Amino acid sequence: MQATKFAIPEIIFGRGSIIHVAQCAKRLGAKRVLLISDTGVERSGWVERVMDILRENSVEWVYFNEVNSNPRDYQVYEGFEVYTEAKADVIIAIGGGSPIDAAKGIAILAGNGGRINDYEGANRVMRPLPPMVYLPTTAGSGSDMSQFCIITDVARQLKMSIISRSLVPNISIIDPLILLTKSQELIIASAVDAFSHAVESYVSRIASPFTTHQALLAINLIIPNLMRAVEDRSIEALEQLSIASTAAGMSFSNAGLGAAHALAHSLGGMFDVLHGLVHPVLLPEIMRFNTPACPEKMGTIGRCIIGDRKCPDEVAALEGIERLQEFFTELAVPVRLRDILPDQSSFERLAGAAVGDACNLTNPRTAGKDDFLAICERAW
Amino acid sequence: MATELQPSLEDLIGIEHCKLGFFKELRQKLKELKASNKESEQRRQEIAAILDGITDIMMVLSEDLRIISVNHVFHRLLGVKNPVGRFCYDIFRGERHPCPECPAHHSFLTNTVCRETAIFTIGERNRQFEMVASPIQNPDKTQRRILIFKRDVTMEKEYQAKFYQAEKMATIGLLAAGVAHEVNNPLTSISGFAEGIKRRLSKIENKDVAGLEDIEDYAATILKECRRCQGIVQALLTFSRPKSSPFSPLDLNVVVGDTLKLLQHNILRIKDREINLRLDLCESLPLIYGDESQLKQVMLNLLINARDAVEEAGGEGSITIRTMKAGKDMVQLAVEDTGCGIPQENMGKLFEPFFTTKNVGRGSGIGLSTCYGIVKEHCGEIIVCSQVGNGSHFVVKLPVNPEQQREQPV
Repeated sequence: MQATKFAIPEIIFGRGSIIHVAQCAKRLGAKRVLLISDTGVERSGWVERVMDILRENSVEWVYFNEVNSNPRDYQVYEGFEVYTEAKADVIIAIGGGSPIDAAKGIAILAGNGGRINDYEGANRVMRPLPPMVYLPTTAGSGSDMSQFCIITDVARQLKMSIISRSLVPNISIIDPLILLTKSQELIIASAVDAFSHAVESYVSRIASPFTTHQALLAINLIIPNLMRAVEDRSIEALEQLSIASTAAGMSFSNAGLGAAHALAHSLGGMFDVLHGLVHPVLLPEIMRFNTPACPEKMGTIGRCIIGDRKCPDEVAALEGIERLQEFFTELAVPVRLRDILPDQSSFERLAGAAVGDACNLTNPRTAGKDDFLAICERAW
Repeated sequence: MATELQPSLEDLIGIEHCKLGFFKELRQKLKELKASNKESEQRRQEIAAILDGITDIMMVLSEDLRIISVNHVFHRLLGVKNPVGRFCYDIFRGERHPCPECPAHHSFLTNTVCRETAIFTIGERNRQFEMVASPIQNPDKTQRRILIFKRDVTMEKEYQAKFYQAEKMATIGLLAAGVAHEVNNPLTSISGFAEGIKRRLSKIENKDVAGLEDIEDYAATILKECRRCQGIVQALLTFSRPKSSPFSPLDLNVVVGDTLKLLQHNILRIKDREINLRLDLCESLPLIYGDESQLKQVMLNLLINARDAVEEAGGEGSITIRTMKAGKDMVQLAVEDTGCGIPQENMGKLFEPFFTTKNVGRGSGIGLSTCYGIVKEHCGEIIVCSQVGNGSHFVVKLPVNPEQQREQPV
């Protein structure tokens, strides 16, 4: 067995744990923090809340919110300018994957300088980053756990994967109460993303006992809790989704992802679609594609979904996938590629970009361009 | 590029990569800073040592000629307590405005290296300085500065003057030797024929020839003048090509005594009055090596000159002869008179052959030049101080051991 690694940030978990944000920042040496978020989080009032806490603890801040979903390279430069001008130290981000990934990009430039695409790929960050404290507002992206940072290169129309252990934040504060203010769509998209993280990292080529455990925990928590969370916004269910998302984050940060995310990144680079909503479309087809390569693990996933059943692994796997598709349909999210793309003309480029994506590397079954084309066609 | 960006599974696991901490960075920075600090400190010391090794006055001036910094030579030579911030011209000249010939000023205007020599009075002594002003290239052009070196060239200029003198003497010496040699032959003929005429005259003694006495008289005069000329020629040859007869240990006091014995009655008298002669001889004078007769000639020449100077001044006056030690390796003979003195414009020509201020018939003008040649041959030095109306002061310095002096040229 090859040597593996399991690295995660310090995690503060619990209802109301947002209150610790200022102390955490101070402990990391904050005098003036760069606070990053987006207008969506602002509207829900959580940015104001963080500012209040900072103020109460006499921590100065500068605020940056020019972040889209799928953060762009130029937004990273803008944020870096704010950071430098303010002579900020610690970086705090509150939000979904986008503000946190933008924060990571800004942190790279703050510690290393240069252009953000200098760091595309794995382990190209050579100097330390400013301390980072992240508060995820969606139970899904796992960016607050991971060593990944996805930034859209506007000129090349693709999502760059930047991978570095230095991107793992110092502290991640997970407060399930924040999820209470999320829209239904966002809760679903995040949970599906987290589910996809769990599934892909579970079957990853570099999965380890420490990641598979977390992945299965996430898979087992998401299916039963997602419906409840959507229907009555039960805080218990939301809390379980937070745990699931965090566990999935721990898993994929260390084990990597797979073909579904490779294709999702190429889709996100070309079309500005919400990352979480791509997975109900892609994940079942990718799982079908991967089953021959890892029937045992896919069977385990299947049994998580359909319950323990005495049957061959492949059968359990396929039945699980069927059930998963039904589940996605019940959530009333797009489940066919034709629901989110105008036509099939982009398939060639999508497939080409997906082959080169870093996530494709850990997919249990080698996926070439033709495989991606076939997957797209089946998902149409 | 694409393949280079493509990570491997190992990259994703990243066993060798961990979250980089600021502590490590800080420690590295500290280490680097310490190392570079040490290095720059060493460099600073080296540069300081180099600067300390500079023996010229060094100053950095601002555009309005205020002193920004100076080196230790400045402090040593000028002894000004807080020069920084004061005007350069104030310190060196006590002026309120920049000096017109200031090289720093030119350097600022032209942005080139400028040189100039000037005389400054430092500690009541006039000293000649060679100045070099060079603009300091500053990356930010806001504040221009000038670096000035001032080298004290007083001694050099003195040596240079002596060198020119020696050069001139050598050339003139060669010329004189040539002339003397050429004149010697016809002189011998004239003298021979004059002797012949004298002999012939004696044979026709009893014959009554008109004007015979006159002719005898003429011949005697010719012979007398010939002898005089021969003496001059001989002296010239001595001056230019002194015979290097073997030197022997000598007591300078004995040379003085012998010379005086020879001359006292004849020369040191003016209109039947003896000149007031003072002797101040050092009793424990080390022996020197030299040619006794040549040194006597020097002594003689100096005495004659002193006597003439006293006479010129009216006859009332004195001559003092001193011998003394001069440092560890030299002795000196000084002849001082209270005579007429030598005008400044003649000082440079004193040792040139045929230069004389005496009346025709009194001096040939080769006395001092002969002295110069002899003293030179003895590896010594002859120095003159004089003031018109107050008298002159000739000092002959001779080495105790001339051989040693030759090996270590000054």
